[in-house]
Amino acid sequence: MNSLTQTPPGTQILLGQAARRRRAVERAIFDVFEGWSYEEIIPPMVDYLDVFVKGMGQELEGRIYRFIDREGHVLALRPEFTSLVAKTAATRLAGAPPPLRLSYSGEVLRFETPKGGQQREFAQSGIEHFGGTPASSDVEVLLVCMEGLSKLGVADFQINLGSVDFFGGLIDGLDVGPEHVGALRDFLDLKDQNGLDGLLAKLDIDSRSRKALGEVPHLTGGREVIVRARSLVTSGRSLEALDHLDDIYSIFENLGLARHLTVDLGELRGFDYYSGILFRTYVPGLGFEVASGGRYDGLPAKFGRDLTAVGFSYSLDRLEQVLGPRITGDAGPGDGPAEENSFEEAVRLRRAGKRVRLCS
Amino acid sequence: MIALAKGRFLAPSLGLLARAGIRFDEEVADSRRLVFDSADGECQVILVKPMDVPTYVEYGAADAGIAGRDVLLESGADVLQPLDLGFGRCQIAVAARNGESTPDGQRPIVRVATKYPRIALDHFNSKGIPCELIPLSGSIELAPLVGLADRIVDLVETGQTLRDNGMKIVEVITESSARLLVNRASYQTKRRELVRLVDTLGAVR
Repeated sequence: MNSLTQTPPGTQILLGQAARRRRAVERAIFDVFEGWSYEEIIPPMVDYLDVFVKGMGQELEGRIYRFIDREGHVLALRPEFTSLVAKTAATRLAGAPPPLRLSYSGEVLRFETPKGGQQREFAQSGIEHFGGTPASSDVEVLLVCMEGLSKLGVADFQINLGSVDFFGGLIDGLDVGPEHVGALRDFLDLKDQNGLDGLLAKLDIDSRSRKALGEVPHLTGGREVIVRARSLVTSGRSLEALDHLDDIYSIFENLGLARHLTVDLGELRGFDYYSGILFRTYVPGLGFEVASGGRYDGLPAKFGRDLTAVGFSYSLDRLEQVLGPRITGDAGPGDGPAEENSFEEAVRLRRAGKRVRLCS
Repeated sequence: MIALAKGRFLAPSLGLLARAGIRFDEEVADSRRLVFDSADGECQVILVKPMDVPTYVEYGAADAGIAGRDVLLESGADVLQPLDLGFGRCQIAVAARNGESTPDGQRPIVRVATKYPRIALDHFNSKGIPCELIPLSGSIELAPLVGLADRIVDLVETGQTLRDNGMKIVEVITESSARLLVNRASYQTKRRELVRLVDTLGAVR
């Protein structure tokens, strides 16, 4: 290894067009966030490890870059923003009346295999909405997510929308151990019908639940999915989740945006962390999601303030691969800079707002 | 775009696609070309090494693919796997020499020769048994015979190769067979085509 020439694995240097494009994308996204009255917060790059472990759970813990400070505290380079923003909402903003609308943008670090243009250090921009009702704030964050994509010139995208409560309601009353719940969830997440059927045959559950769970991998599509799912379940929690998804779907139908929504009741990744809706956004031509989010009502309470919470983030590194022609990252407008020999002339042009480039 | 594995999976994969109405004007199996259009122009097939099928699908370079579960587990790729296609059935197993009777737990460390380091490591880790992986790319059965390893982790179809080399299965880790893999994003952005593919292949497998 030559530490003076190579960059550490999973890091990158953006320059030229790529750097200009990153800033242009951030500006466009923040215009949208500000347009919906989200206030930016700039949290620290480093916080105590506990904040993130408490926030995102054990699953992420092994992927956090950590170190020990002079007093012996374990610190972490932020692996995500949501915990930091929730902590801020619960502590520094404890006196602020809800709802709180907060936005952020910056780099996070996770020790994982670089994939889909996302390295170990990657950029996220996102929002968190605290203290609202699901009926309103779930719709709001979805709208913000859609508008951001449109403003970036990404016209063709699909938001895969699920709810942990649908699945939660299905298994609530069943005598199924946690290891089997985990296995069920994994099979549903992978749409692995064979694995699912095999496990369901082994479990001692009623035939109605078996049929409903067995059909979940097929419960993906438009409104008809909600209708079909209603006929399969009796659990109040599942039915409420379906009503909520139905309400969301209706609102987007009225707005003429329902074509971007896919209801997917098998969408369960991040189940332990989310508490209501969850969603992932896909763009044709890229094999990985460009945005993801959901509701996580339990998180702010872990930092001492009981607030509902919903939010999402974009992966900028991935978004930049699917941008429309609107944001190219090409250098500034028109004629290029004036080549100048004298400081007097250069300063005069600068005062007039012109771009200059000194000759030497 | 569907990624197919070259080698023993190719003929059954093409047979399955043919039954689903995806046919090719030219001879795919005998050609040196790597990209083929279906006769109706609806579908494109690429031929890649078996171990690479999950990668092509995970990155979305192919929307779907056909690969063994062994290969999928070993790759660790995050892809949807909606169908067990039924062919290529075998077991992934731990095997040892006949007469070898020291339990794994009593060795300070178990030396394991395998083509499947990830599967082997996950298996021994889950049992809390320290192991030293010896990655090989073929003739795994040789390793215990020449003292290179205490155990092997490999595919077992009929068990004949093991028997011929004086070995026996110690433990089956998991079952494997051909799976249909689908890219997560493609499943959403090309849902109609892919749901149709899953349904059709499910009906003719």
